[in-house]
Amino acid sequence: MSELWAMDAYALHEQFASGAISAEAIVKAHLDRIQAWDSTIGAFLFVDAEGALRRAREEDAWTLDERRRRPLSGVPVALKDNIVTRHMPTTAGSKILGAFLSPYDATVVDKLMDAGAILIGKTNLDEFAMGSSTEHSAFHPTRNPWDATRVPGGSSGGSAAAVAARMVPVALGSDTGGSIRQPASYCGVVGMKPTYGRVSRYGLIAFASSLDQIGPMTRSLRDSRLVYGVIHGSDPHDSTSLTNVAEPIPSQEQRWRIGLPREFFGDGMDDGVRRVIDQALESLQGLGHELVEISLPHTDYAIAAYYLIAPAEASSNLSRYDGVRYGMRASGGDLLNMYETTRDEGFGDEVKRRVLLGTHALSAGYYDAYYLTAQKVRTRIREDFDQAFQTVDYIVTPTTPDTAFVLGARSDDPIKMYLGDIFTVTANLAGIPGLSMPAGLAAGLPVGLQWLAPPLFDAALLDAAETLERVLQPMPWPEEVKA
Amino acid sequence: MSRDYEVIVGLEVHVELKTATKLFCGCEAAFGADPNSHTCPVCLGMPGVLPVLNREAIHLAVRSALALNCEVRPFSKFDRKQYFYPDLPKAYQISQFDEPLAEYGWVTIRPASGEGRRIGIRRIHVEEDAGKLNHLGQRLGDATGSLVDLNRAGVPLIEIVSEPDLRSAEEARLYLTELRAILSYLDVSDLRMEEGSMRCDANVSLRPVGYEGALEDLSRVEIKNVNSIRNVQRGIEYEVERQAEMLLRGERIVKETRGFDDATGRTYSQRSKEEANDYRYFPEPDLPPLVLSAEWIESVRQALPALPDAIREALVSRGIPPKDAEVLVLDREAYQYWLQATERFEDDRLVTNWMLSDVARLINARGESYAKAAVGPDGLVELLELIGSGKISGRMAKEVLEAMFETGKRAEEVVKEKGMSQITDEGAIRSIVEEVLKQHPAVIQDYLSGKEKALAFLVGQVMKQTRGQAKPDLVNQLLKDVIHHDYNTAQ
Amino acid sequence: MDLSDADILHVARLARLHLTPDELGPVRADLNRVLAYVSQLQKLDLEGVRPTMHVVETHAPLREDRPEPSLGIAEATKNGPVVENGMFLVPRIMEGGASGE
Repeated sequence: MSELWAMDAYALHEQFASGAISAEAIVKAHLDRIQAWDSTIGAFLFVDAEGALRRAREEDAWTLDERRRRPLSGVPVALKDNIVTRHMPTTAGSKILGAFLSPYDATVVDKLMDAGAILIGKTNLDEFAMGSSTEHSAFHPTRNPWDATRVPGGSSGGSAAAVAARMVPVALGSDTGGSIRQPASYCGVVGMKPTYGRVSRYGLIAFASSLDQIGPMTRSLRDSRLVYGVIHGSDPHDSTSLTNVAEPIPSQEQRWRIGLPREFFGDGMDDGVRRVIDQALESLQGLGHELVEISLPHTDYAIAAYYLIAPAEASSNLSRYDGVRYGMRASGGDLLNMYETTRDEGFGDEVKRRVLLGTHALSAGYYDAYYLTAQKVRTRIREDFDQAFQTVDYIVTPTTPDTAFVLGARSDDPIKMYLGDIFTVTANLAGIPGLSMPAGLAAGLPVGLQWLAPPLFDAALLDAAETLERVLQPMPWPEEVKA
Repeated sequence: MSRDYEVIVGLEVHVELKTATKLFCGCEAAFGADPNSHTCPVCLGMPGVLPVLNREAIHLAVRSALALNCEVRPFSKFDRKQYFYPDLPKAYQISQFDEPLAEYGWVTIRPASGEGRRIGIRRIHVEEDAGKLNHLGQRLGDATGSLVDLNRAGVPLIEIVSEPDLRSAEEARLYLTELRAILSYLDVSDLRMEEGSMRCDANVSLRPVGYEGALEDLSRVEIKNVNSIRNVQRGIEYEVERQAEMLLRGERIVKETRGFDDATGRTYSQRSKEEANDYRYFPEPDLPPLVLSAEWIESVRQALPALPDAIREALVSRGIPPKDAEVLVLDREAYQYWLQATERFEDDRLVTNWMLSDVARLINARGESYAKAAVGPDGLVELLELIGSGKISGRMAKEVLEAMFETGKRAEEVVKEKGMSQITDEGAIRSIVEEVLKQHPAVIQDYLSGKEKALAFLVGQVMKQTRGQAKPDLVNQLLKDVIHHDYNTAQ
Repeated sequence: MDLSDADILHVARLARLHLTPDELGPVRADLNRVLAYVSQLQKLDLEGVRPTMHVVETHAPLREDRPEPSLGIAEATKNGPVVENGMFLVPRIMEGGASGE
């Protein structure tokens, strides 16, 4: 038997449900792994060793039958630290939340617990999920397990790195403009952003409400399917969650038409990335699928639209951090002074930059030109996808134009940083499901392949990607490469 | 004031809806609980929370909109109105901006002189209330800090915005009185201005005669949060005078928000335009549009109760004088008292007279209301039945009613205990009449010379002798008989 | 149409963010770069295009008006920076200093 921490969630659950191993042993193995590696990686903001062990012993008391009925029983799970939990602090990667302890659990947390998952800790992120490198965490940067001089991507960099470094088999991330898929790509794991509304946002600390979606980050597609199966579903606490929407039945054809948007395969792409992607595309052809060049003509405008909509909503969502009811409060002066000092000391520079931008985009005289215009462009982007999906079953693209960059390389230039999201933001703007799966290595660093599907085709998307996973070279893991 | 200006008033009325729970969460909406005992992550604006609309709040809002003759939108949406204040947990209020629940309604007011007049309602929208601040210190200005209680945060409100159709403080009073009456019959709110479950802001401007520009372009002063209808009227009166004097002096009126000081009857500046808010409204991404089917809206309309206009008509057609009808209509409890009483007693006018004089006086004196009066409609009917059967006189009944209010006893019981019974024995009264007439020869002469009042004096004397127990019409009759028979020598 | 220092300070006040004179310059430069970048949207012909305010075309669900337990005062205020008598204490509100209702 291989090391417990090397197994995926699916295998761990099977072993636990069959009585072959105890949950306590599973948790201990992962805690040891965290102990050994996280001082280098910095994936976690909080590890609840005691709580996880207690939960593991509770799990061990269940009968085999009961274990089998709960699809994640025995499986340790980490949560991006913008998902609120009653028994662990929640920071959103910001100083402004201080010692905040949520009086309620997010809906996904309830669902995970009901499914028998064991919450092991909270992972690092760019402050309030604003960033693509996890360097904008107020606490410490997270490093890429493949190369500790490089970023893991972001904003769900802590979750991606924790899964890639085998500190936890699965983690949840959140994706507003690519924050699950991009770090998944950089760290060589699977990351899925479901259709907007599939997974409840209740208890996800809002960044941009109309774009945010929680999703799984795993080392295999079967794990993503397992976790997605547990966390999705309508929620009476989330008015935007989809109610009674069944998975559509995908085409039963064994050969798909797969769209390759020409706007995603242009000049900006790294050569190494291109090589890996081309090989993956060949594999798809080898499976008998037809590759079709398509156009998503408004792709070029997506970043501009995204960087108006997301900051505008963020400026509103972050107004509640005012030092009155929870979180930190700076002392001094009158109320106005307290507000400004608290927010000045509590928020980092990138958050402030986006709050200012968003406030401006909504302010009197600018709303039409900025926010409203961006939401119209969003309609155009949706129409692009609607049209494309008339002729193709899925769309495949590189997840990012490049591989993980070196820490500090992009912090000084906001536009350069924002343009890194070019391949991922459109799925959020259109609300469609997307996932990134590892396609191979370029110069020793993982390259992600992105799949996009029509709205609601989440399960189909996982199945489709899995057919490719079966024929690709198994993804190695960082230590194997280095060894 | 100078006649060179016309008064332009528009009112914004906030009404707290009478739901069991708040607009977006399951916390109780009730008034008066311990601070922050009715709060949860949603109404505290905790990180990660989301709003879910209360069905009953929408129902009550639509009910109100239909009763106020509004068109209810099949699609309306919610927006965020953003500003920082400690009583607003999310630093935005979920409200409705450009696609409100309902529009284009009206209320008819009836000025004492002249015809009834329709006052337009521009819009009605649904929004959440803010919490409450308790300032440490005497006034906001010198408070050392404030304590935030969020029990009220998230309680459902409707805001009813009138057109600037009102032309005087008196019209504003009539509008508010009528609006409150309509809402009271709908039973959608407690409507207690002193507790804040109904609040009013008044926009006041003066339009120079001959002015042809848009009303929106006139400098408008908003009087905020006045706590009674009477004070809204006083505030507008003061504001009209203040603005008129400024115009007379050639000064410009500054667009601003002003408060009203109950003690002095004056308005005072609160915030000038330099600090004008930029609320940065944008559509609430956490709430999809509210969609209401035509069938459902129609079913709410079908379930509307009788409203003041229909009730007025019904009362007048039953012979109640319009003035009395008005008093009954404007107080839903009084009308319900009246309905119950007249169901059991057939003389509508007698019930009305007793209610609006003696019952009203006693209720007021005792600080009761019609719904909680010590003597309910059944008690009043029993009393009226004793009068009708001749057992007691009207005059005696007044005394009985007072005793009923005080002791809570039934009319019959009071009469028995007090040993009251009307003297109907003609012989007994006749001898008292003869005695009284002997003592007042001069009064008899006055009467005979045509002074009708003299007879009333004599009746009073007889009643005094009988301690009010003689049947008045009998006394009247006997006095006339005896005078004509024994004293009419002049003829 | 670059934002001036005064514009930035106005926006900062709306957002209740304090900017020191040192921060102002870099913030202005960053914001103006981003605004210049997003101005490309003005090139598009968006006449008659409906904005996508909600990406899922659904309508607001309605909740039954049934009370659910509140948190209780202790739990509701446990995260409060300064709590007095079960209420959140805030510093004094200067006249006009905060734009309230």
